[in-house]
Amino acid sequence: MQFFGGSEISPSPPVPTASGNNAHMMYVFNRNGVCLLYKEWNRPLHTLNPQQDHKLMFGLLFSLKSLTAKMDPTNADKGNLGVPQLPGQGCSFHSFRTNTYKLSFMETPSGIKIILVTHPKTGDLRESLKYIYGLYVEYVVKNPIYSPGSPIKSELFNTALDQYVRSIS
Amino acid sequence: MAPVGPRSGDAIFSSIDRVNAELFTLTYGAIVRQLLTDLEDVDEVNKQLDQMGYNIGIRLIDEFLAKSGVSRCVDFKETAEMIAKVGFKMFLGVTASVSSWDADGTCCSIILEDNPLVDFVELPDTCQGLYYCNVLSGVIRGALEMVSMKTEVTWTRDALRGDDAYELQVKLLKQVAEEYPYKDDE
Amino acid sequence: MIGVGKMKQYSNVLDKPLSKGKQEVSLSAFAFLFSELVQYNQTQVDNIAELERRLEDAGYAVGSRVLELLCNREKGNRRETRLLGILSFVHSTVWKVLFGKVADSLEKGTEHEDEYMISEKELLVNRFISIPKDMGTFNCGAFVAGIVKGVLDNAGFPAVVTAHFVPIEGQQRPRTTILIKFADEVSISTSLYMIYLYLEKLNLSPGLPTSIHAAQVLKREARLSQ
Repeated sequence: MQFFGGSEISPSPPVPTASGNNAHMMYVFNRNGVCLLYKEWNRPLHTLNPQQDHKLMFGLLFSLKSLTAKMDPTNADKGNLGVPQLPGQGCSFHSFRTNTYKLSFMETPSGIKIILVTHPKTGDLRESLKYIYGLYVEYVVKNPIYSPGSPIKSELFNTALDQYVRSIS
Repeated sequence: MAPVGPRSGDAIFSSIDRVNAELFTLTYGAIVRQLLTDLEDVDEVNKQLDQMGYNIGIRLIDEFLAKSGVSRCVDFKETAEMIAKVGFKMFLGVTASVSSWDADGTCCSIILEDNPLVDFVELPDTCQGLYYCNVLSGVIRGALEMVSMKTEVTWTRDALRGDDAYELQVKLLKQVAEEYPYKDDE
Repeated sequence: MIGVGKMKQYSNVLDKPLSKGKQEVSLSAFAFLFSELVQYNQTQVDNIAELERRLEDAGYAVGSRVLELLCNREKGNRRETRLLGILSFVHSTVWKVLFGKVADSLEKGTEHEDEYMISEKELLVNRFISIPKDMGTFNCGAFVAGIVKGVLDNAGFPAVVTAHFVPIEGQQRPRTTILIKFADEVSISTSLYMIYLYLEKLNLSPGLPTSIHAAQVLKREARLSQ
């Protein structure tokens, strides 16, 4: 869905050139709301400390999921707003766009949430997020010295991720 | 709703990287041997194997989801079929079957047709209480917990202990809703 | 199919035909199992050296079983008695069975007479790993070093085997080298083997069947003669 539509009242930032990098930042959360990874490529303005920032992002997605499911016109089976859902229950949104950025979101049935914030003109990133999930599985989940639920430090993953995100147009 | 995802794990298994089952079997044997030496008590070893399985399960679920493309299962029945037909095939190259459903569809048996963990294994008299394959029950429990299902998984038949098959009973205890993880809203 | 497995029942593991070694499991199943081996052993130690030693122990158990299996299957129970023979057996046959390929290289050490190196660009157990700085020189290859040691020891060639990362120029990932340093008795055993045979002829050491025993006797003899 397109949350809040894409009407551009104020001008959006210039589209980056081919060599530029479209990504602003990225988050990976696990099902317990732990931020496993935060990375930024282009974020000129920091107004919150990292903990507040992560919590706010997680809260935004949590509420948005609940709201979008509640408003689903095709499904009669919906709980009360704010009542916890099972992961994968109800409809799911995958992106929203403002005049200054686009947020793409993927959640797996195991509760891994991948969020990529990019330039508003970026296209559909669903396949890209799946690819990133694949990188996470290869380099994080299978790393024998990674303990689940801890922040991701793998250099292998970080390098592969950085390379891939820079290539997204 | 039509189930999303493959009906069998054959295609996935043939497309992913594989290793000789002997490396796997012998490594597992070395782990069990290490535990027997470290813990010296068969019950403790059973517990530790189950815990190790659980730890594997909570990781393995993401590999399963990423490689199988399964996005959801409509109910526990479909979940059990998915484990038996896709899960076992995808990881161990063997198939399993589901049977013995109870009336309300929350408890069933998974029967392994082949079990690569037990090649070359014969339990010595000193290990008679050992559930050699206990890692498998832990894996199922751990993986299902990550997709919001609390289960109890127990061995009902174990060929190493003289039964005629390997059979696991999987019982769904409850489904856990996703909750907002932060306590206060400061 | 209601509750009836198709499992064949063997009352004794020896009655079961030895598998031909063609069965496969997914690499990730092995990767997860191996991860758990590492994670469990991390809880049992307080330093990296100890962790590597425990991984080596686990590998050793695998190595000795592999030797048994392969001798049974591929060599018609004939044991390799030459040093180079056993090294090439490890580098090719053992590697092929366990890792699906022959090792990238087998070289003789340049600094010491009795050192050999088996190198692998991407060793299976190091494929998914990323070593954090606080773990220093930790190498999961210790497990494979243990496998190699298990094979060599049980074939009668005792050796100290260790795993090391070796950077390759122009590559981001280092390769893994398994360094094999044969125990002194092996290098002298070949040259003194004839004496052993002579001793045996004189019935001084009846019933010592393998070269390791021979080596032990000879080492003693060699010391006495100094």
